[in-house]
Amino acid sequence: MKEINLDVLHDAAHRLLFDMSEEEYATLLQEFDVLTKQMETIGRIEGLENFEPMTFPFDCTTTYLREDEPSVPLDRDLALSNAGSVQDHQIKLPKVVG
Amino acid sequence: MNFEAVIGLEIHVEMKTRSKMFSSSPNSFTRFPNTEVTCFDMAYPGTMPRVNKAAVINAIRVANALHMTIDPLVRFDRKNYFYADLPKGFQITQQFHPIGREGYLEIKGRDGELKRIGIERIHMEEDTCKQLHFASYSLLDYNRAGVPLIEIVSHPEMRNGTEAMRYVEAIRNIVLFSGTSDGKMEEGSLRCDVNVSLRPYGTKKFGTKVEIKNLNSTKNIESALDYEILRQSAILLSGGKVQQETRRYDEASGKTVLMRVKTDAVDYKYFPEPNITPIRLSPEFVQNAIDTCPELYDSKKARYVALGLSEVDADILLSSLAMAKYFEEASIGGKFAKTVANFLISDVNAYLNKNGISIEEFPLKPAYLNELAGLQEDGFTHKQVMQALNYLLENQDVNPKGALEALHIEKQSNDDGLVLAFVNDVLAANPQSIADFKAGKDRALGFLVGQVMKAAKGKVNPSAVSKVMLEELKKR
Amino acid sequence: MNYLDLSIADIHAALVAKKVTPLELTKEALKRAHESKDNAFEMILDDEAIAFASSLGEPEEDNLLWGIPYLAKDNFSTKGLPTTASSNVLNGYKPLFDAHVIDVLKQKKAVLIGKTTLDELAMGGTGTTGHLGITYNPYDPKHERMMGGSSCGSAAAVAAGIVPFALGSDTGDSVRKPASYGGVIGVKPTWGRISRYGLFPFAPSLDHVGFFTRYVSDAALLCDVLSGRDEMDSTSSEKPVPHCLEKLSEEKKPTFAVLSDIVDSIHDETILSSFRALCQKLEEQGCKVTYVPFGKEALESIYATYIVISCAEATSNDANLDGIKFGPYYEGKTYQEVMFNARTKGFSELIKRRFVIGSFCLMAENQDVLFLRAQRNRAKIVAKTNEILKDVDFILVPAAPSIAPKLGQSSDKLSDEYLIADNHLALGNFAGLPSVTLPLGYEEGMPFGVNLMGRAFEEEELFQACRLVSDSTGLEGSYYGKEDK
Repeated sequence: MKEINLDVLHDAAHRLLFDMSEEEYATLLQEFDVLTKQMETIGRIEGLENFEPMTFPFDCTTTYLREDEPSVPLDRDLALSNAGSVQDHQIKLPKVVG
Repeated sequence: MNFEAVIGLEIHVEMKTRSKMFSSSPNSFTRFPNTEVTCFDMAYPGTMPRVNKAAVINAIRVANALHMTIDPLVRFDRKNYFYADLPKGFQITQQFHPIGREGYLEIKGRDGELKRIGIERIHMEEDTCKQLHFASYSLLDYNRAGVPLIEIVSHPEMRNGTEAMRYVEAIRNIVLFSGTSDGKMEEGSLRCDVNVSLRPYGTKKFGTKVEIKNLNSTKNIESALDYEILRQSAILLSGGKVQQETRRYDEASGKTVLMRVKTDAVDYKYFPEPNITPIRLSPEFVQNAIDTCPELYDSKKARYVALGLSEVDADILLSSLAMAKYFEEASIGGKFAKTVANFLISDVNAYLNKNGISIEEFPLKPAYLNELAGLQEDGFTHKQVMQALNYLLENQDVNPKGALEALHIEKQSNDDGLVLAFVNDVLAANPQSIADFKAGKDRALGFLVGQVMKAAKGKVNPSAVSKVMLEELKKR
Repeated sequence: MNYLDLSIADIHAALVAKKVTPLELTKEALKRAHESKDNAFEMILDDEAIAFASSLGEPEEDNLLWGIPYLAKDNFSTKGLPTTASSNVLNGYKPLFDAHVIDVLKQKKAVLIGKTTLDELAMGGTGTTGHLGITYNPYDPKHERMMGGSSCGSAAAVAAGIVPFALGSDTGDSVRKPASYGGVIGVKPTWGRISRYGLFPFAPSLDHVGFFTRYVSDAALLCDVLSGRDEMDSTSSEKPVPHCLEKLSEEKKPTFAVLSDIVDSIHDETILSSFRALCQKLEEQGCKVTYVPFGKEALESIYATYIVISCAEATSNDANLDGIKFGPYYEGKTYQEVMFNARTKGFSELIKRRFVIGSFCLMAENQDVLFLRAQRNRAKIVAKTNEILKDVDFILVPAAPSIAPKLGQSSDKLSDEYLIADNHLALGNFAGLPSVTLPLGYEEGMPFGVNLMGRAFEEEELFQACRLVSDSTGLEGSYYGKEDK
């Protein structure tokens, strides 16, 4: 596992596109300490490796596939009605580079 | 030192399904921005993905054409990253369980020998939204967001630009003929990322990989790779090191140009998509998808060759789906196939070029082209048949027989007795030509046939005349 | 006594007999909502609710929900009505579609009178982290105790008798824990029973639509009405909808397993004695109650497992909240700056910490020891739970180890204390099992509850057991201040 320190946490937050106050990073560091210890304890649970990682709570395999029938799309002005920056029926952003 | 190039390709193909990969928004490639959008495509909270059946069927067909093992349990995963064109902040893809694994494609190498290229995986995913860039801002169009994609990842088993080009052509033919995609590189419905590295011959370790983007034609793939291989090889020969980077192909200069140097790999934090439970495809479903797949390029080509066409001619007819379709309709049951093919390849193509139209816009019914081919095989001359064809193009309410009548075209005789009589008359009148022929002057034959045609006032078939003339000349 | 205080079936009878009208019920509910001082509302829909109630016409005799006022947690998408999930990142967002359950209730002509507060983005258990501040517990007019969350507003509203029922969502215990603190019934059916379409996702593999009621029959009714396959949610079950209400009165003598390690960890004597008394009453009625250990190690592992899985899924689900398509837009020199500003200003600090944790757990080099390990442990815990439910019909435990804690006593910071009786309700989310919290008793005037969990898709049997429990406690229909109304 990656070593956790304040720099790593700053980097992780910035990659998630937000920043936090310095106290919060400190709190987070403590929380990670708690969490990683508890997860280490869990890692020592006997027979854990015999279980496959679970995504769904029970077998819910289906055969359903959606028929390829188009529906009526949104009116485009309505579709963009919640966007804060719109021009020419499109969302406008500062120039996206690379 | 000599280097071996190691080339691997990742191909993204936009599917031409009627609706999107995970939403029922229309998928018709309209040019009006944001008119093919539903709440899911814009990542409105609480919207959920619903897997498109047609997309799965397409993926099965392509996987099968690539001789891949199909996973009957369809599962999806999330690829997490932030980008302006990614509405949800993640892309739904198939990282852990691609629908197809380990297959291959056979292509002709530079030496003409068949070469097998291994294919690692094929999976389904969704496209991002389209960005239009202006001087100081960019605009986002969500029509493309959620368009179904298949990604096909080859093993790094190609060795030169030509192989890569042929590989892409073969993939394009599969997606095109299976009805999965229109496969247009120039319009971005087939997109290709190329990875290339060099290593000394005989070594196993891979060299530093360079990625090339912006390849919008198969020809460019070949040229870009040939250039890039020379570039890397020059660096290595001069003792330098190839940098891990992304380059783009500049068509004007024929060179690859640096886009950006690669830093550490992005961590996409993949995990299984919890909003799509696993989907079990029954063996019948998979088999049916395969059985109902439209006939693919290779099968069509083999069939055309069996009808007597040359490989080259078959390739020409198969260069577009519409041309192949026209050919098949105009040669139903293989009738007059070779003649139909000749008409299409030379006469019809010339007409299309001259008028700047596509075969879809060609006004002649395929059945009529078949009839015209039949007329030629029945003894009408090519010139006569083409006169009829031109007449038909201008007179839509007439059929081929009607065209012949209107033009007062009559069939030339194949009657051997009649032809022989004319031939003997001409030979008797032209002893010098016989001598010339015997002396090896081939044009004497042309002269003699011409004399016959003149004497018969064009009512005998020139090919029958040549045949009989040759036989008679041999006797003298 | 007011018609609004009756069970839905009884209100319905009064509506059909025209003793009361939907408009009168709606006006009473709106009045109570405005009188509430618990900060339970994101929005009270006076005009919309009155207009809708006025438009209803003749009573529909076969539709029990006709004209019944209700509330929805503000993480259910409501077309044209602001929906924020109590987060600033979604201020001003007006969804373009109704959540499936909102749509079903609209078709049933139930009257939505408002949207309720929640812990921001449903990620919390205290009812204190929403952008409107703390939601209080109506049983504590001094406002010293928490409501619990994340469905704090809906819990508070039903606990205060404002509406007969309210929608919530439950990812760890977000309906069933506040139900315990609020002395009301809190239900989360089997995962996949009710379509989540339009519910803002927190952690889809654990998320459930749930609801609060005061009567068992109301809970059974809602389970019937809201259940069923919805093609907009591919994970919704194709199983036939249950008939919980119809089968509610069937006499059964089910067996119950009490998780002994959980009971052993509780020190509150009032809760323990009420719980024992309940068990005794059940036995007296011919039910079998056995104490079975779950395993301390496993119970202690629930919280970390829950945090890892839920935060990992949440960081991905909420990556769409970037101020570009909806929510407040902030200027920036680059698109990254635009997103950065929206997310930095839009999320509270708790949420950001959860996202960092989740994202860290998903990193390639950490997945094995964090995310995948948690998923493996989830599988192990689920196997154990299902094993217990092979031999007995229901798991029966106190819903929480205490009455609603005082504000400030419990925080959303991760702690190294193992509070197994505070976290066990997540078992129902791990295994996707139907689970109901019912009122069990009071201590210092504050309610506490008991929780029942059954086998997947066996809601009919579960509500029959709820009937037994509820008859034993005699607390059905209660809410704070009922006597004064």
